[in-house]
Amino acid sequence: MTKFLLHRLWQGFIVVIVVTTVVFVITRLVGNPVDMALPLSATDAQRAEFARQTGLDRPIFEQFVTFVGEAVSLQFGDSLWQRRPAMAIFWEVLPNTLILLLAGIGGAIVASLFLGIFAAVRPGGLLDRAVTTVALVGLSLPQFWVGLMLIMFFAVIMKVLPTSGMGGPAYLVMPALTLALPSLARLTMLVRSSMIDELNKQYVKTARVKGMSQSSILFRHALRNILVPFLTLCGWELTYGLAGFTVVVESVFAWPGLGYTAMQAIQRNDPFLLQAIVICISFIIVIFNIGLDVLFKLIDPRIKIG
Amino acid sequence: MKLNRFLLGAVGMGLLLASTSFSNAQDITIALSAEPSTLDPQAREDGAERAVSDNIYETLMQRLPDGELVPGLAAELPVQIDPTTWEFKLRDGITFHNGEAFNAHAVVASIQRVIDPAFNSEQLAYFGTISGAQAVDDLTVRITTTGPDPMLPSRMYWMKMLPASYVTDPAVAEVPVGTGPYKFVSWQRGSEIQLEANADYWGGKVCVQNATMRFVGEPGTRLSGLLAGELDLIVNLLPEFVSSVPKAVAVEGLETPVIILATDTGVTAIPEVRRALNLAIDREAIAESIFGGYADPAQGQLVNPAAFGFNKDLPFYEYDPEAARKLVEDAGATGKTITLLGQSGRWLKDREMLEAVAAYWGETGLTVNVEIEEWGQFLSRLFSKDVRPDSVLVVNSNELLDASRETTFAYQAGSGAASNSDAELAAWINEAVAEIDPEQRAALYAKITAYANERDYLVPLVNIEDIYGLSERLDWNPRRDAKLMIREMKLSGC
Repeated sequence: MTKFLLHRLWQGFIVVIVVTTVVFVITRLVGNPVDMALPLSATDAQRAEFARQTGLDRPIFEQFVTFVGEAVSLQFGDSLWQRRPAMAIFWEVLPNTLILLLAGIGGAIVASLFLGIFAAVRPGGLLDRAVTTVALVGLSLPQFWVGLMLIMFFAVIMKVLPTSGMGGPAYLVMPALTLALPSLARLTMLVRSSMIDELNKQYVKTARVKGMSQSSILFRHALRNILVPFLTLCGWELTYGLAGFTVVVESVFAWPGLGYTAMQAIQRNDPFLLQAIVICISFIIVIFNIGLDVLFKLIDPRIKIG
Repeated sequence: MKLNRFLLGAVGMGLLLASTSFSNAQDITIALSAEPSTLDPQAREDGAERAVSDNIYETLMQRLPDGELVPGLAAELPVQIDPTTWEFKLRDGITFHNGEAFNAHAVVASIQRVIDPAFNSEQLAYFGTISGAQAVDDLTVRITTTGPDPMLPSRMYWMKMLPASYVTDPAVAEVPVGTGPYKFVSWQRGSEIQLEANADYWGGKVCVQNATMRFVGEPGTRLSGLLAGELDLIVNLLPEFVSSVPKAVAVEGLETPVIILATDTGVTAIPEVRRALNLAIDREAIAESIFGGYADPAQGQLVNPAAFGFNKDLPFYEYDPEAARKLVEDAGATGKTITLLGQSGRWLKDREMLEAVAAYWGETGLTVNVEIEEWGQFLSRLFSKDVRPDSVLVVNSNELLDASRETTFAYQAGSGAASNSDAELAAWINEAVAEIDPEQRAALYAKITAYANERDYLVPLVNIEDIYGLSERLDWNPRRDAKLMIREMKLSGC
């Protein structure tokens, strides 16, 4: 186990190093950050002074050394966009995205287990067909459109939910639902198909012959066996969300989260903020994945890792 | 039992929701399209910051809704006591929101702060000519400029005044303290800023008592908020949404899309071809079909119609595709390639304009090559002094409402994004920037715009109107200078 952990940590370290370098190179390569940060009307003298103040006039290698030093201590300098520490902005928006992920993806995970299992009990039955259809619809509709339609219906016509922004629990309903829909569809289809496979296996038939109850078979035995592929997909859904793919939902609902902030950092050409976000997130994702691997090992000791 | 619990939950949820949509008759909610990058009124060039600061801070000069320049914190129009010195008399008895008196020291401190090279304000482009300020007495200030500067009064319409004790306080970026009709209450990062009416405002009582400014980037979401009754005013309403809102108001704005032609290289070096490029475009159609009628064809120049130096004698551009084709043919340019550089999604309808222009130009017999570049690449090509793109579409904005902006950006050789090498024209522009006599100065700009119009250095398209969506209960006439002044807003409750 210790050897495994050390190995994974080493791998994670390499990933973070690669990400860090790529981010640095890309933010310096696409145009001059100084030109992009200042208004069109800025004079040459202003550009030079700005470059001096932000250290963007130093040789690229020197900038890289400073940058690595900052990255190690998790200090990324001031955001060019908001002129305050990039990490302060990161810590401000991270919880907002975590709330959204927890409500949206968390809800999808719980709901998909029930929907998938119930659909699998009688494949081809009414419930199964209903669940499959809804899942397909959920996968095919663009999130952007779903979000706007929900706003139209619940906020504009019914007037029961606020259109956008962050506040009480009511503000969370539509963004979480919009975020959950495609994940719910993917997870439900996975649970359904692996459950159908599982229920056709010999040990389930034996259990039935023995007179074991349906719920025991489903939840105590079959569920346990589909847990690893299920959790793998859950991990992927959460990682995907953390990696900035909540941006569409956050934009539509004016939710001040990580994805939206990262997009702003790109649009406003703020290399320092972008670096902070990308590196911290890659760090979190690496740790999260190591945790998942450990969890798998605990669930199924047969899994060989390393 | 279970049902009861469910009902209880539902009622609780309902109460919670009801409380969120509660609104007072004298409170207003405005949706901005972005969050301010700071609330320091002197640091950045940021429209979202201005939308908030304009209600909290004031300036020595101000503009009436139609654009006329009048005294603000100044008691009267400034007097020029020598070519490089202007004297301002200040209004007496005004205090900042923190209780500090507004006086000559506040003005001097504010000016020195913004022109300090180490502060490196993005607004220096507006204040670059100011060299210093001295207090003569408590209510008199002299502002000096590096050379004769006829624009100084309009510059002072842009410079916000801070309390003297506050200019070095880092809190200025987060807690604004001005003399204006509204006081800062709170800033919830990522969500909203709250303001309340300043009961001691020197300019009199206001209707709106509390204002919430929310940041909603998505145009469709802003529209929904207005339709749902959560918002009273939304900015940057898309022309296609106008028919859906309770009330829409529009005013001629500050922005003018223009195509800058390279006069020394490529097919655009031929004067007849440049004339053809202007003749080939149906500006009425662009205003009508791309901007839904919320734009007006440019009148032979880039200068904003409300700006000082606008030449009202220039004719509107003709639309004559036949003549354009003939000009291109006679110049032997038929089949030759012209590159049109532009952006997609940065300015309102930029891509649609590129496509329309490319189609019109294609009709003349030229081969049009549209290039849409990533912003960084675009900027380096736009500002390149060595290789000029044949033609490049940019949107110019004139905040100070003075022709010096357009002429130094697009007309003057070697400056900004200009693509000609006309030394004579450049000399006139330098002359105009330093000319003190308003009549002489207007005459110079008339000469400049007419001269460039004759040589077709530019292809100005349309002057864009700003469109706002309003709730039924709000009454407001948008301003020519695009400022969101809450004190000018009236609710049906007051």
